[in-house]
Amino acid sequence: MNRVCSYCLLFLFGVSGYADDGEKWWSFVPPTKPEIPADENAIDFLLEKRLAEQGLDLSPEAEKRTLIRRVFLVMLGMPPTAGELARFEKADYAELVDFVLADSRYGERWAQHWLDVIRWAETVGFETNLERKNAWPYRDWVISALNSDLPYDQFIFEQLAGDTTGNDAALGFLVAGPANLPGQIGRDEEAMRQARQDELDEVIRTVGQSLFGLTIGCARCHDHKFDPISERDYYAMQAVFAGLTYGDRRWRGKENDEWTTRVPEVRQKLDTLKKESEKLRVGLMLHRPLDDVHTDEFEPVTARAVRMKIHATNNGGAATLYELEVWSGEKNVALASVGSRPSASSFALANQTRHFDNLVDGTVDKRQAFPWVSAKSGPAWVQVDFAGPETIDRVTWHRAGGYPADYDLEFLPSGPDDWQPLANSRKRMLRVDDTRDVKTVRLTGLTPEKIQQVADQVAKIRKAEAELARLSRGPQVYGAIFTDEPEETFVLSRGDPMNRAGRIDPAIPVSLGKLKLDPKSAEPNRRLALAKHLTDPAHPLTARVIVNRIWQHHFGTGLVETSSDFGKMGIPPSHPKLLDWLAIEFVENGWSLKSLHRNILHSRAFRQSSLPNQKAATIDAEARLLWRFPPRRMEAESIRDSILAVSGKLNRKAGGRGFDFFQQRGGLSDYRAKETFDADGWRRMIYAHKIRMQAVDIFGAFDCPDAGQMKPNRTRSITPIQSLSLMNSPFSNRQAAFFAERIRAEAGTEPPSQIDRAFLLAYSREPDLDERERLINLAAGHGLDQVCRVIFNTSEFVFLQ
Amino acid sequence: MTQPLPRRQFLHGSAAAGLSQIALGSMLAKEKIDPTNPYAPRRSHFEPKAKNVIVVFCSGAISHVDTFDYKPELIRQHGNPLPGNEKLVSFQGPNGNLTKPLWDFKPRGECGKMVSNLVPHIGDMADDICFLHSLTNKSNTHGPAENVMNTGFAFDGFPSMGSWVNFGLGSENQDLPSFVAIEDPRGMPQSGPNNWASGFLPAAFQGTPFSSTKPIRYLDRPKEISGETDQAARDALRFLDSKSRDKFGGDPNLQARLASYELAAKMQLSVPEVAGNLDAEPAHIQKLYGADSSNQQKAGFARNCILARRLVERGVRFVQLFNGAYASGGRINWDGHSKLKEQYDVHGEILDQPVAGLLKDLKQRGLLDSTLVVFATEFGRMPMFQAGTYGRDHNPNGFTCWLSGAGVKGGTSYGATDEFGFKAEENVISPHDFHATILHLLGMDHEELTVYHNGIERRLTDVHGKVIRKILS
Repeated sequence: MNRVCSYCLLFLFGVSGYADDGEKWWSFVPPTKPEIPADENAIDFLLEKRLAEQGLDLSPEAEKRTLIRRVFLVMLGMPPTAGELARFEKADYAELVDFVLADSRYGERWAQHWLDVIRWAETVGFETNLERKNAWPYRDWVISALNSDLPYDQFIFEQLAGDTTGNDAALGFLVAGPANLPGQIGRDEEAMRQARQDELDEVIRTVGQSLFGLTIGCARCHDHKFDPISERDYYAMQAVFAGLTYGDRRWRGKENDEWTTRVPEVRQKLDTLKKESEKLRVGLMLHRPLDDVHTDEFEPVTARAVRMKIHATNNGGAATLYELEVWSGEKNVALASVGSRPSASSFALANQTRHFDNLVDGTVDKRQAFPWVSAKSGPAWVQVDFAGPETIDRVTWHRAGGYPADYDLEFLPSGPDDWQPLANSRKRMLRVDDTRDVKTVRLTGLTPEKIQQVADQVAKIRKAEAELARLSRGPQVYGAIFTDEPEETFVLSRGDPMNRAGRIDPAIPVSLGKLKLDPKSAEPNRRLALAKHLTDPAHPLTARVIVNRIWQHHFGTGLVETSSDFGKMGIPPSHPKLLDWLAIEFVENGWSLKSLHRNILHSRAFRQSSLPNQKAATIDAEARLLWRFPPRRMEAESIRDSILAVSGKLNRKAGGRGFDFFQQRGGLSDYRAKETFDADGWRRMIYAHKIRMQAVDIFGAFDCPDAGQMKPNRTRSITPIQSLSLMNSPFSNRQAAFFAERIRAEAGTEPPSQIDRAFLLAYSREPDLDERERLINLAAGHGLDQVCRVIFNTSEFVFLQ
Repeated sequence: MTQPLPRRQFLHGSAAAGLSQIALGSMLAKEKIDPTNPYAPRRSHFEPKAKNVIVVFCSGAISHVDTFDYKPELIRQHGNPLPGNEKLVSFQGPNGNLTKPLWDFKPRGECGKMVSNLVPHIGDMADDICFLHSLTNKSNTHGPAENVMNTGFAFDGFPSMGSWVNFGLGSENQDLPSFVAIEDPRGMPQSGPNNWASGFLPAAFQGTPFSSTKPIRYLDRPKEISGETDQAARDALRFLDSKSRDKFGGDPNLQARLASYELAAKMQLSVPEVAGNLDAEPAHIQKLYGADSSNQQKAGFARNCILARRLVERGVRFVQLFNGAYASGGRINWDGHSKLKEQYDVHGEILDQPVAGLLKDLKQRGLLDSTLVVFATEFGRMPMFQAGTYGRDHNPNGFTCWLSGAGVKGGTSYGATDEFGFKAEENVISPHDFHATILHLLGMDHEELTVYHNGIERRLTDVHGKVIRKILS
């Protein structure tokens, strides 16, 4: 099959770190700090300079309550309470800034921005879309990192190499993207190699776009068309992560330590149970339990055929075997290749072949061969007819899923005689994984009481083994896992996994420097070197990329609009000097995100009014020069969180396993949205279990990304589906009723005070006369619930001003 | 350092900040989507042949060798190994011997096209169909391959064809969603909503899923709220939102919110009108589609076909009509690995008459002159049975799709697989070519319909795609 690049433009004419005029591309040149007059705020000074070129200026400061509301919505993702509003109306602005930076709602709000960038979700994606049960700790790790103002260089380090510092949850970063499950990958070599390439590619995209702000993934099939990143660079970067796979890893920490201390005690208990069990076995004169590959030996007999009558499996499932071998000395006479013919009571077809031919095909390689599976559970038989009479002395069977726990082996003598017994399973001690109902267990010569005793003993061992396994494994977290001996990495020509064009050592893109790494370095040195490179204070991209993201979520648009692409296909910064100033200041402040926020929040640019201005709008309609604070529709999460905050139902429970938007947590289809929620579902939306490629009911329509692709910039569309959902959904209407209930409780029965209270809670202001009158009429004619329903739907409620 | 010339003047904006700033077309084209009405009709690049599209998508991969791709040599070599590929390991494992079609083929229509008895009604329409026998897909796995056919990319998260079309053209009907995805009554297709997602295009362009059995969510006001109350609430909402808009000098986004509530109100009337009273269709129409069948699944799919016709009749731009649901061992989709005959007899009955009825009905109403009907699937199936089964494994190397209606030569076939139907050999068609051709019929140049996202000007056709000119009428 012709492999074609599915990512990028194909034509490429050489690679250079330089723009067309021979200058090095701006984002590859380290930032330099511009001169700022001593008494000036750098942000405002640089913005005003640019505005002045267009004959514009910053707008006057916003009205106080508007500003308080803005700070709350931007920083915490919900409006101020009545009490908060009153408090900060009287206080200094600086107190408000300190307050929001110290509030834990900040981390919950801003973590979502980061999760968008890396398309984090709690399912694998693709056609199974199964749940990643232990993925949520990463989300909590991000929230907590932001709230504790973990320096950004450290934030990067932990996400790339948290395994070296005991921060296992941070490694959820590298595996945030989708990855197909092994069972969903074709059995051909090409499909398997392709799948490995795809999962590593997701890692490179995550790292490249989120941290470097570069679309390194474009170089998978060819040198980057626009940026100085070659195909070799791509594969060198892949080599950094060659030891990585997706999966659950031990989550070190307090719980892990507690579990570990309990291991010896449980192991001791298990040993005792096993000794008791062995004593019991000997006392009852039972043979040893069945093996996974089990051989029954017997006196040689001459047989035309052998059959196995399976009365029960260990787990009640359909009978199944990978292979059945009948031995004549060292020769397996059951093989189809020597002329034997298999048959069985039935075989399951399902989606894949489960035919009895598999019993005698001579292969037990689970990647290339299939087992026999009976069409249904319950008794079954398999039989092998030999090409001619054979003298046989033993039978070996290989278990597949469950195993035959109660069976008879029989042979057909070479003569007129009927089937004769060869061996059976009923003189054996039960296996630990035998979960049959004890009433159905048959053990030759044992009373039901004795059988019960055996089953109980085995069950105790089973339980202790499970406990020991759980404790020894420790708490688990979904993250990158690493092998000490990474596989070799090859440059693949045109990205074709079957077309290897030479081995390559780990490195970063040549135009960004060198990793200073022994090329033979194994895990984790490759990643440590990458982290070191990225967090070098002189790195031209790292600080610029993150300060730009922070800026973007304050003002709606980044200084570099394409916030995950600082390459040539991206848009150059609107204010390059401001970007540089912010980046250098950020590094000088110890990579502190909160200091950066503080700088921005204190600027006049942030505090200015969002009201329009005819002249400025003509020149710069979208306010990219920031002649006003750009008003905009809020994100899905803020809308939902605000509704809950205002209705009084918001549950502030932080962290842990997420709540559900759907009736199921993974799988391809038939997702049914939950329409009503209890307190658990009234937590902030960041605590919702995140399903990939499944738009959330109601709020998916508000451009909440579905984690299919990285989403550094959300669209802010406005659609009739949004309107229908917000007007008619049980969620909205129920919350409107709660809101009305709250208003009655807080404002009493007088309609004017009710409306005033509603406005204060929802809009952080008092109504105008006509608004008050209009809504009093609506409440009088149709109930206060309708007023609340309307408020949740208004532009003012869902817009940031 | 001198600043290189910006590739775009940032004052013109780009995709970053919302609807009002999404520029349509190539990076130089500056026709903007009007945020107050993203569905306003827009000019195509050139005169279109088709105004609307209905895609019938057979989820699970319908076997070409058992339906439209007649291979006499396959019948002759029945029971022999595939020459040169005796030990072929494909998606699920080893393959067995060549197996002749499980249904007989017969010449159909004036053109005499050989079509199997699995789909006789569709066969009867052969004179209106252009068969494309040489499709290929990059992936041999259902989900990714379905993505390729519907979004151009194997990965999730790219805009679907319907989203691109609506992004480019807008809608002719301002009371209905411009892109509707109709699920099979048996369930959701393999890659689910990704088939009609808007990816990185604005949410306004995503497909709205509803069907004859599954209405739009939250279309109706809550039962406990009377019409009068609902109207009073809407009036109050309009009052408040108009005040906000005026305060912000007629801000287009605030205006768009007002407009969105108006369209929502219109949809409350127009959607039930088009989807709600399918039983009111005359008896002969119900019969034509098989909506009168006692087979509930066939009747359900037939009703979806009637719904598709009604939607294009009202100017809905793009309709996806799914036949077949999710992975189920071939039970409720076309994934015939193990019991192909038994399962396809069921699926064929559901598919055949309703799709043929749709073509006939569109034709008799003159709608086939302006509507393009696309029949597609994610890949084909092997000419062999899988070892030890009675079904065929995935085959992305060659399979059949077809086009019918506006701008397409009926009664023709294009491209060919080898003598067994194993591999496309003549005029090989990539999914990108297929998409480029569909966009072309709608009057759009697939290389010009682009949007910037994460470092690249994205297209439905990636960096590939050639219009199949030979099939254009």
